[in-house]
Amino acid sequence: MDQNVIRVENLVKYFDGRCVLDGINLKVPQGCIYGLLGRNGAGKTTIIRILLGLEPPTRGQTFLLDTDSSDLSAKLHSRIGYVAEGHNLIQNYRVGRLIQLCKDLSMSWNDEFFEQLIEKFRLPTDRRVKELSIGMRAQLNLALALAIDPELLIFDDPTLGLDTIARRQFLELAIDLIQRQGRTILFSSHILSDVERIADRIGIFAAGKLVVDCPLEELKKRVKKLRVIFPEAAPSNLYLKEIVNQQIDDREMVITVANWNRQKQTVLDTFKPSSCTEIPMSLEDIFIECTRPSPELIES
Amino acid sequence: MFTLIKREIRDHIVYFIGAAVLSAIFIIVSIFVINQIGSSQRSGYSDVDSGMFSVGVGVPTVAIVIIGFCGLGTSQMYLDRTRKISAFLSTLAVSRGRILLARIITGILVILILLVPLTITAATLLRLYAPPVLIYHGMVFEIFTVAFLMAFSCYCIGLQTGWNSGKVAPTLGGIALACIFIPLILIKGFGLQIVVILVLFIIASLIRIRHTFLTTSL
Repeated sequence: MDQNVIRVENLVKYFDGRCVLDGINLKVPQGCIYGLLGRNGAGKTTIIRILLGLEPPTRGQTFLLDTDSSDLSAKLHSRIGYVAEGHNLIQNYRVGRLIQLCKDLSMSWNDEFFEQLIEKFRLPTDRRVKELSIGMRAQLNLALALAIDPELLIFDDPTLGLDTIARRQFLELAIDLIQRQGRTILFSSHILSDVERIADRIGIFAAGKLVVDCPLEELKKRVKKLRVIFPEAAPSNLYLKEIVNQQIDDREMVITVANWNRQKQTVLDTFKPSSCTEIPMSLEDIFIECTRPSPELIES
Repeated sequence: MFTLIKREIRDHIVYFIGAAVLSAIFIIVSIFVINQIGSSQRSGYSDVDSGMFSVGVGVPTVAIVIIGFCGLGTSQMYLDRTRKISAFLSTLAVSRGRILLARIITGILVILILLVPLTITAATLLRLYAPPVLIYHGMVFEIFTVAFLMAFSCYCIGLQTGWNSGKVAPTLGGIALACIFIPLILIKGFGLQIVVILVLFIIASLIRIRHTFLTTSL
């Protein structure tokens, strides 16, 4: 089998003449926890839906577990766990009936683990799905996805609407899963601290393009935010390439630069700054900088 | 597959009950009328007009079959679309093709629940009351076949109507089709020609439904 559990090749998707995904190429190796980031409408859910065969692509191909997404068999689906955005469960079913349906349709079902989760989440099985809170629905969806003991887990903003404790529980479960060898997780979220906590590779979508696709640590090394103080008014142009963002306030300049290296440091030194200090950046800061205009600057 | 069929049956149980009740009503009415005709023939005085009876029972029956089975198909697909049932099911160990097949099998079951008891009753009554003429041999089977195909055609129209966001074109198509089929049956009878036409229509409908269901976004 290919080492890449998820493969996306030149994927293009148009909705009513509007380009949502513009030539995406992506590979997620086995055992990787891939964090998919992007602003609302960036195309995260669309790419996940295309991967699962729920949405046809306009152009390009996607592969899950070495199989074209449009040809995913029932057997292959049994190896994939999916927690959808908004938790698309059958709303008018009672929880117990929905569980039984999923159990009957699954090829492998870990009853013991599922019961543990149901008890942990305190999910009432006699209530209808639509009567559950958003948090409970998320937990039910998660429990259903995990009960089949999947090789590949796809989470589309799974913590949306969860309170802090439920979110923590969810992350702990995800970490527990990560510790089981060979599991691959594709994780899309708006809560960057969650992604930062569990992901080991990051992809950032902006304007339909995958502008960042690299390991999290590498991303943090590649993007630098510097506070530079000049003896006189800060120059309007530093003649540096790959400036993601630049703010000038009299003698002070705050710049965010991609792929910071010795050469760029030398160019900066020619302006004889009084001081140059690095501002530590969280993933959230990097994300905000990357999704501003001209994000292609830090494209790999 | 059995799980999917069971799910469809539970979700549309009202149609199963409706078909069973309707079948029972038709059986009771038929037995009652045949009895009346039999007793009036024995007494030599007929107060039941068999022609009027045929029209009185036949027309509402056809209308109920058309509306009922169109309704079943529409309801199955419409509820699926609005409740995103297939979107959820197809993320489990189920293919879209199987979901559709289970749905169609359920539709066929409803049709059979309505028609099989009626056919058995009609065959029994013919054996009891009709004169032993060759013309009656196979007549019940022919009527059953055409009625089944007719009901299934209506069901197929319903499936298409329910899956489309635009309702006007499929509904008008269904009405136009009913307007063609009913006179055709009246003129040509329950013969081979109508069977061929209905089979062709059903095949075309099923191909279209399958293509639409398998390729559109869920």
